[in-house]
Amino acid sequence: MFKKVLVMILAGGQGERLYPLTKDRAKPAVPFGGIYRIIDFPLSNCINSGLRKICVLTQYKSYSLDRHLRIEWNIFNNELDEFIENIPPQKRISDMWYQGTADAVYQNIYVLERERPEKVLILAGDHIYKMDYRELIEFHETNNADLTVPCIEVPIKEASRFGVMSIDNEQQVIEFNEKPASPKPIQSNPEMALVSMGIYLFNTQVLVKRVIEDTKRDTIHDFGKNIIPSMINKDRVFAFIFRDKNNKAVKYWRDIGTIDAYWETNMDLVQVDPIFNLYDENWPIRTYHEQFPPAKTVFSELFPGGRCGTVLDSLVSNGCIISGARVERSILSSNVRIDNYSEVFDSILMAGVRIGKNVKIRKAIIDKSVIVPDGKHIGYNLEADAKQFIISEKGVVVAHKEMPLL
Amino acid sequence: MKTILLVEDDTNQLLLYKQELSLEGYSIITAQDGQEAVKKVKEHTPDLIVMDINMPKINGIEALGKILSEHKKVPIIINTAYSSYKDNFMSWSADAYIIKSSDLKELKDKIKELIGKIK
Repeated sequence: MFKKVLVMILAGGQGERLYPLTKDRAKPAVPFGGIYRIIDFPLSNCINSGLRKICVLTQYKSYSLDRHLRIEWNIFNNELDEFIENIPPQKRISDMWYQGTADAVYQNIYVLERERPEKVLILAGDHIYKMDYRELIEFHETNNADLTVPCIEVPIKEASRFGVMSIDNEQQVIEFNEKPASPKPIQSNPEMALVSMGIYLFNTQVLVKRVIEDTKRDTIHDFGKNIIPSMINKDRVFAFIFRDKNNKAVKYWRDIGTIDAYWETNMDLVQVDPIFNLYDENWPIRTYHEQFPPAKTVFSELFPGGRCGTVLDSLVSNGCIISGARVERSILSSNVRIDNYSEVFDSILMAGVRIGKNVKIRKAIIDKSVIVPDGKHIGYNLEADAKQFIISEKGVVVAHKEMPLL
Repeated sequence: MKTILLVEDDTNQLLLYKQELSLEGYSIITAQDGQEAVKKVKEHTPDLIVMDINMPKINGIEALGKILSEHKKVPIIINTAYSSYKDNFMSWSADAYIIKSSDLKELKDKIKELIGKIK
């Protein structure tokens, strides 16, 4: 039954709210957790769920993403009818770019026509979570649904960022409002709301009918805003609640929409008992590793004023050398060097970053290949930092890729 | 007077349709392949399109997509000798699918119905 499911990953958004991490790359290609790219998470979910027909719909700044997919995800066997296709706008139906999520699917009707899948699983390229899509597909089939929308419960004050839904006792969706000003709580708890995870499992024929109808309307051609609300009263739309089967707890799911969400989600990885576990052997997350020697710490001069290479509560990727410096609660991508007497706290350093001597960095994101000169302080005086860097709402300082600081 | 774009590569059929539909009181413009159809829609913005599928250059299915991308509300009737295109997802974006017949009643009724909806 899983062979008849085609996956479409929407990777075409501009990712403006994640600027400057999206300055040179599409959002799904933004590095995450030291060695991954964000898109590795939904793709790994596909592989682990046995779904091996995947189209990635790209648009803006797709080079980095394309390259990553080509190098790392070239693991599918065409002879077994498996594939991963990177599809930019073909301008086959329209001369326009993708006008919205639903339009991206409409413009690729030819792909659906060629593949003729029974079902289409539409995923976002910018979510961090682990989901066995087989459970979702089984739920969809059991309920004889036309559309199934995975969802989670979130505190009501956060709900207006999402598609908020109401369901009946059978989990059929009876109301769906995208980003409502005043979200409706769930019946059993006025403090919580049921929100869409932005993932959709459609029966193909229904999907095609609804996106065609939508293309003829003056809408923004968005699944959450237009397609799903239009389906509530005429199709069988169900909510699949994303909970742990054993303890019924809400499972981990994060939408990497903003710099703050990006930083916080990374920081979820460094906790002693992380709420998102990368070390689960039953659910491996694949990625592409450039070859580097093992990470190294040097100098163990334990006397006062001595040089001491110390790393605590952090993820350190291959090729890193922490030389007489101190790193705490941070994530270091490959090939990062940190020199004597420097301190890096609560920060994300991406591949190839060089930190000089006596540098102090706190609550910052340093993008690829930035060279931080000796004595530089980042994150200690936000007013001064604001002249040079982008600073998020919650005070995360961001140095963009290859930013000259010397 | 409402304008209909007739897209049909067979000259004899085109003349027949043109004559019959003119008698119904429509102004008729014509195209003989998909590419010409796309061009004519741009030039004349017709009120309705009757489209054959099997045509040279670009076929009716592909022309349908191109036309809808710019004129998303123009009603389109597929008028073909083949029923097999009914399964083609893109053909679903037409407002009606009619199998060609020597009796044009079905086509005329459908045109009347769709044009009646236009404000």
